[in-house]
Amino acid sequence: MKPMLSTDLNVAETVVEKAKIEVKNLNFYYGQSKALKDINLSLPERSVTAFIGPSGCGKSTLLRVLNRIYELYPKQSAEGQVLLDGKNILDRSQDLNLLRTKIGMVFQKPTPFPMSIYENIAFGVRLYEKISKAEMDSRVESALKRAALWNEVKDKLNASGQSLSGGQQQRLCIARTVAVKPEVILLDEPASALDPLSTAKIEELIDELQADYTIVIVTHNMQQAARVSRQTAFMYLGELVEFDRTEKIFTSPREKRTQDYITGRFG
Amino acid sequence: MAHTVASFDEDLRQISQLIRDMGDLAGSMVGASTKALLNSDNAMAQRVVSDDAIMDARQRELDDRAITLIAKRQPMADDLRSVVGAIRMAGDLERIGDLAKNIAKRVGSVGVSAAPRDLSHSIDSMAQLVLIQVHGVIEEYTAGDATALAKLRNDDERIDVKYTSVFRELLTYMMEDPRNITACTHLLFCAKNLERIGDHVTNIAENAYYVLTGTQLPANRPKQDETAMSAPAA
Repeated sequence: MKPMLSTDLNVAETVVEKAKIEVKNLNFYYGQSKALKDINLSLPERSVTAFIGPSGCGKSTLLRVLNRIYELYPKQSAEGQVLLDGKNILDRSQDLNLLRTKIGMVFQKPTPFPMSIYENIAFGVRLYEKISKAEMDSRVESALKRAALWNEVKDKLNASGQSLSGGQQQRLCIARTVAVKPEVILLDEPASALDPLSTAKIEELIDELQADYTIVIVTHNMQQAARVSRQTAFMYLGELVEFDRTEKIFTSPREKRTQDYITGRFG
Repeated sequence: MAHTVASFDEDLRQISQLIRDMGDLAGSMVGASTKALLNSDNAMAQRVVSDDAIMDARQRELDDRAITLIAKRQPMADDLRSVVGAIRMAGDLERIGDLAKNIAKRVGSVGVSAAPRDLSHSIDSMAQLVLIQVHGVIEEYTAGDATALAKLRNDDERIDVKYTSVFRELLTYMMEDPRNITACTHLLFCAKNLERIGDHVTNIAENAYYVLTGTQLPANRPKQDETAMSAPAA
């Protein structure tokens, strides 16, 4: 008898190799209202994880817990654990500035600072490191190269970041994030305001960045989740409904709610 | 549950209707071609030949609709499986049509008296087994019965066993009287075509099973065609 392929075995491969982030029994509240209900999942290192689900399902909230950015707002609170390399980042003793150098974030709308392209990247680096002009130049260059923007801006590094196109601005924001050498990059709808070509460039970039970073992306575009991620979490009404390999989620999900959502049957 | 976009449901419905139509047509072509063969009915054989053009047209229509649906709707999960599955099932149904046509085209060559009564009976019962499979696979797919499809796929074994015995029988007739060789060779091809039709039905059952469940049937299934071992000609 010839050996069977793994696809014949009908056993979901283990999603997690080495977990970079582990979320354990996480609950989240906006005032009295509970936005996340007992979330448990592990995000593997150097891999792209997508969060999908209808508006209000909690996917952006979950992303915002991962770098504690929610604390900027009053009356929002999280309970449970979020372990980054085994250390609970929700712990009060966690240094927030240090946390955010480790976990960078890119938002839906490009948010370049009102300064030059060069300064947009150097600004964040200077907050954490004292490096020479030459070192800074090479840091800016390598960040722009990593974000696939260098060739388009290398002759106008002193031009305003806001003079760039939407897609270029978003890649500038990714370059800015990469420049401080994070370990995790959170992307909140990074391409939803972009045209298809800019979207393709961002997706290509995500594909390249996963060799070095752990990436989490929230997206409404299911084809995008299917294209860029290795594993996908489907959330609904604050619950994690299903978390599995992306191919499995988009070809034969286990849960009916997942199936109904991704096939466009939600009422 | 219905899709939020109602026209999506309509597109999917049209594709599964085409699969049912092609399945019905395949069944009637296989039935008519063997009947024509056993009764030396040239007119019926001719109808099978012209039905094949309808089968081809249906397959092209299904391909067009499926590709348009993929481009327009980017189906996911069970929708994706059913569209891709339909394309593949249509391919197998179209091949079944070709094989039935091939049997029909041999009707004139076999001649009236060539097939001895016993042999006619063997081919007829083999054809009956094949017909049950062709009708069954579309019925079970339409009914969404994955368990029945898995069983139906294994039932192909019976056709293979029958084919082996028809093959040996034909060999005997040819050895008995060399004047039988021409007719028996044509009949041998017809039997082989019926056996191939059975294989296409198993492909359809495997696809249908995957569409319904999202998992593949195991790669191995019972194989009983032993003619390859007894004679290299088959």
